Amino acid sequence: MSRVRPVFIWLARLGVAAIFLGACVAKIRDPAAFALAVNRYRILPGEFVNLVAIVLPWIELVCGLAVLTAPARLRAAGAAIIAAMLAVFTIAISLNLVRGIEASCGCFSTRADAAVSDGWNLVRNGALIWLALAVYLDAVRRAFPRRAAEAP
Amino acid sequence: MTTEAMAIRRGEGFRLAGAGAALLAVAATLGIAVNLVRPAATRLPWVGDWGRHVENLAFRAGVPVTFLEGARARVGAADGITFDARIPEQYAAGHLPGAFNLPLEDVERQLGAHAARLRPETPILVYCGGADCTDALELAVKLRELGFRDLTVYPGGYAEWVQYGGATRAGDAP
Repeated sequence: MSRVRPVFIWLARLGVAAIFLGACVAKIRDPAAFALAVNRYRILPGEFVNLVAIVLPWIELVCGLAVLTAPARLRAAGAAIIAAMLAVFTIAISLNLVRGIEASCGCFSTRADAAVSDGWNLVRNGALIWLALAVYLDAVRRAFPRRAAEAP
Repeated sequence: MTTEAMAIRRGEGFRLAGAGAALLAVAATLGIAVNLVRPAATRLPWVGDWGRHVENLAFRAGVPVTFLEGARARVGAADGITFDARIPEQYAAGHLPGAFNLPLEDVERQLGAHAARLRPETPILVYCGGADCTDALELAVKLRELGFRDLTVYPGGYAEWVQYGGATRAGDAP
C-alpha cells in the first residue's frame, strides 16, 4: 500500500491538473460564449455573470498548475479550491437536469454543438472531487508534518 | 491518514487559507488583465446586460428554450411543427428544413393555413434570426395566448443553425 499511494497521488495530481488545464482553454479563448454557458445555469445574478466568466477559467488554470507543480501548501490550497469548484459545478448541473434545461455544462467546450449535460457529468465530477480531495489530504500531510516531539 | 490530515490546527488553517487567497488573487489578476488587453471584439464587458437576453426573457415568461441539439431533434419531427418568425423575405432566403413561415405581425390570419395539423398539444418549435432577436419568443407567447401548450423557443435561431452546418431550404415552401 505504501508503494502504491505515492503513485496514486501522482496520477491523481496529473489527472486533476490535466482536466482543469484542458477545461480552461476554450473558456479563455471565447469568454462571451462561456458567459452564455454561465448564464444558462440561472444561478448567478446577471451582474456577476461576466465577472465569473472572466475570472473562473483563470482560477482553473492557476489551481491546475498548483496541483501539478507547486509546493505542498499551495498544492493543498489548489486542490481544495478545485474540489470546492467541482462541488459547485455539480450542484449547478444537477439544478439544470432537474429543471429540464437541455444545455451543455460548458465544462470543456463553449460550442453550441457541445454535448448536452446528463447524469454522466455528475458521476465524472464525483470522481474528480474524490481525486482532488486525495491530492489535498496528501499535500496537507506534507505541508504540515507532525513533529516527533509532539507525539505522546 | 484522513482524520490526521484533516485535523489542521488553527495556525495551519490560516496558512492554508492564505495560500488559497494567493492563488485566487493571481487568477483574478490574470483574468482581469487579459480581458483588459483583449481586442475590443472579444473583450467582455465587466457587467453584461443579461436581464434582456432572450433566454432570460423566455425563462421569466415561462417559455421553455432549447439549444442546438434539441433543435436538431425537433426540426422535422413527425409529431411537431416548426415556425420561422422572421419576415417572409428572410424566410425565402433560407430557413430550417420543414419550418413554416409565421411572421409575428400576421399570426392569426396565417395560422388558419395550419389548422389541419395543429392541435393545442402539438409540439411547436419557434425560432427567428438568432440570439439578438425576440420575435420567436413573442410568437411563442402569442401562440400560448391562442391556446397552444407545448411551445419551445430555439434562441440560437437561423444564424446558429447555419453556423454549425445545419441544412437549409430556400424559397416560400417549407
